[in-house]
Amino acid sequence: MDIAKQSRLLLKAKPARLTRLQQEARVGLLFLAPWLIGFVLLKALPILAALILSLTDFKMLTPEATEFVGLENYIRFFQDSVAGASLFGSLGYFLLTVPLEMIVALVLAAIFTSERLKNKRFSQTLIFMTAIIPSTSIFFIFLGSLEYADRLIFTPLNLPPIQGFGLLLPFMALWSIGPGFLIMYSAMQSVPKEIYEAARVDGAGPMARFVYITLPMISPAIFFTLVINLTGAFGGAVLLDRGYILSFSLSPMESYINNTMFREADLGYASALAWVTFAVMMTLTIILFRSARRWVYFPEEDEVNEI
Amino acid sequence: MKFKRRPSQLRDASRLTLRLWDFTGTAMLNLFMFMFLIAYLSPLPFMVIASLTPRDQFLDAHAPILPSERVKLNYEGKDLIVYNVPTDDGVKQWALYKPSRQSSEFIDPENVAAGPIVWEGNWRTLKAVYQFKPTLDNFRDFLSVTKIPLYFKNTLIVAFISEVGVLFSSIAVAYGFARFRIPGIKYIFFLLIATIMIPSNITLVPTYYLYSGHVLGWIGTWLPLIVPHFFGSAILIFLLRQNFKSIPRDLDEAAMLDGAGPLRILISVILPQSIPVVTTVALLHFFYIWNETRLASLYLGVSPNLQLVSFGVQRSQTFFFTPEALMVGALLVMVIPVTVLFLSQRFFMQDMIVTQIEK
Repeated sequence: MDIAKQSRLLLKAKPARLTRLQQEARVGLLFLAPWLIGFVLLKALPILAALILSLTDFKMLTPEATEFVGLENYIRFFQDSVAGASLFGSLGYFLLTVPLEMIVALVLAAIFTSERLKNKRFSQTLIFMTAIIPSTSIFFIFLGSLEYADRLIFTPLNLPPIQGFGLLLPFMALWSIGPGFLIMYSAMQSVPKEIYEAARVDGAGPMARFVYITLPMISPAIFFTLVINLTGAFGGAVLLDRGYILSFSLSPMESYINNTMFREADLGYASALAWVTFAVMMTLTIILFRSARRWVYFPEEDEVNEI
Repeated sequence: MKFKRRPSQLRDASRLTLRLWDFTGTAMLNLFMFMFLIAYLSPLPFMVIASLTPRDQFLDAHAPILPSERVKLNYEGKDLIVYNVPTDDGVKQWALYKPSRQSSEFIDPENVAAGPIVWEGNWRTLKAVYQFKPTLDNFRDFLSVTKIPLYFKNTLIVAFISEVGVLFSSIAVAYGFARFRIPGIKYIFFLLIATIMIPSNITLVPTYYLYSGHVLGWIGTWLPLIVPHFFGSAILIFLLRQNFKSIPRDLDEAAMLDGAGPLRILISVILPQSIPVVTTVALLHFFYIWNETRLASLYLGVSPNLQLVSFGVQRSQTFFFTPEALMVGALLVMVIPVTVLFLSQRFFMQDMIVTQIEK
């Protein structure tokens, strides 16, 4: 539509009209300016600076002794078994928690679309509430409730006590479903009712309607949730942040980088590690985006390039 | 007659079973959700219980679950602890007067005048008698040690200033992305999405250098936590832009014909229709600042009087590591965001558009 209008304008070749488009672009850029400036100053330049740092042996305590070491830090990464293990740990963390998180969120969202459910607003707030509990609180809630569970359930039944942190990951995953659940639920609500009616008339049962209508229609929301969860697993703060302290994070790779950064003050190597993580994440994200063309339904063609 | 009545009877009966099924289905669904919520939120009550529990109860393995205190008997000016003592006449509740390993002397609270009763056995195997009594001492202790009110004030100031900045610039940028034909805007938008996925620690060292004494000298001030938000937040821009795009352009064009400029259209056409999403975005930012510990520990570590609440509480928890103090801190930190969430549940995330589906 726009292209048609533009080409018509070009054919008519009225210079005043053309400058109107240019003017629109200029005003638009003015609106984008805050983010563009911030992007250059706080994202692009620091990332480049990190790339340069990763080629040196910069240490926080002795900045004047910094030397250019080339790819040494990257070679060190390939020989560092802890770093490799942490990277795979982060991948494992992603593979372990994200499916659990997404499936529970999806099932809950599907139940919520039922008109029979009462007090939706309130239950929805309760489900979301756990996602904003600060990390300061969450570990003590977890440990405290484990102790009480021991005293109330396990000891009376003569069961062995729960071995602490094994349950922490699924627990945290379940208590983080809030945003994903709400995004999927709103997506489900905006699926046109006529499609369901048509399918019902054709004899599709509830299960078939869910698989063949709901899932494809909300696939953009599922995709979005997947991408933000992927970022979360590698140490990005997306949508909601519980605010883990620097020396501790549930993502092994993030903790390892922070440890190299602050305990050992080895900034060159830490930057190299951050760059490796960045590269792995970007590769995964690009694979996800490529695969999105196969399974994500985009109502508008240009959205494919946009989300 | 019979022939005529039977089908209608049948219809009535089937309608009844249908209604019964309908009712059962509704009941089952709501029951399931109720059970799920109870299981899902079950760790929370324990935190409240623990924060109301007196300290010495945690030391006694036989103590009850609910906050309670030991029953005591005042005898000859001393507080004696009451124990469950097994005797030949069944279990008696006696106050321990003179403890000894082999045999101890007890006082019967119901018959104080009778004097000490000798009981054979080790008093340490006895269980103390408790009565239900929640205490607020933990809160008093915690508040006297930490500067929680100050942290609350600091966090609210930082949240408010950065909120203003992040809303202004994110709304402007989202409007720019949603409504203007700019050459190459697709690629700029892709950059925006890409910045959402940048791991935070890759930019940490260079930005720390930027804020440090070498360049800006902002360490020990709130500026590193406030100023970046004035450039907008990528994820919030994304959410706002998706919503702005879903608003029909007809009204814009009508306003434009009336001579309204772009800013005018944003303020009087777009924003009034986007109140839910703007509220959501504002709340998301508030929760973000409230939970902020990373930057607070990095930039405010040197100035405790400017510290924010999450990190402030986290730090004081390392000073006195007892269960009830931890629970008090945990409870205090989460009270405000949860209250805010409940007050705003009417607006929050009601219209979360990730991609346009029907609009």
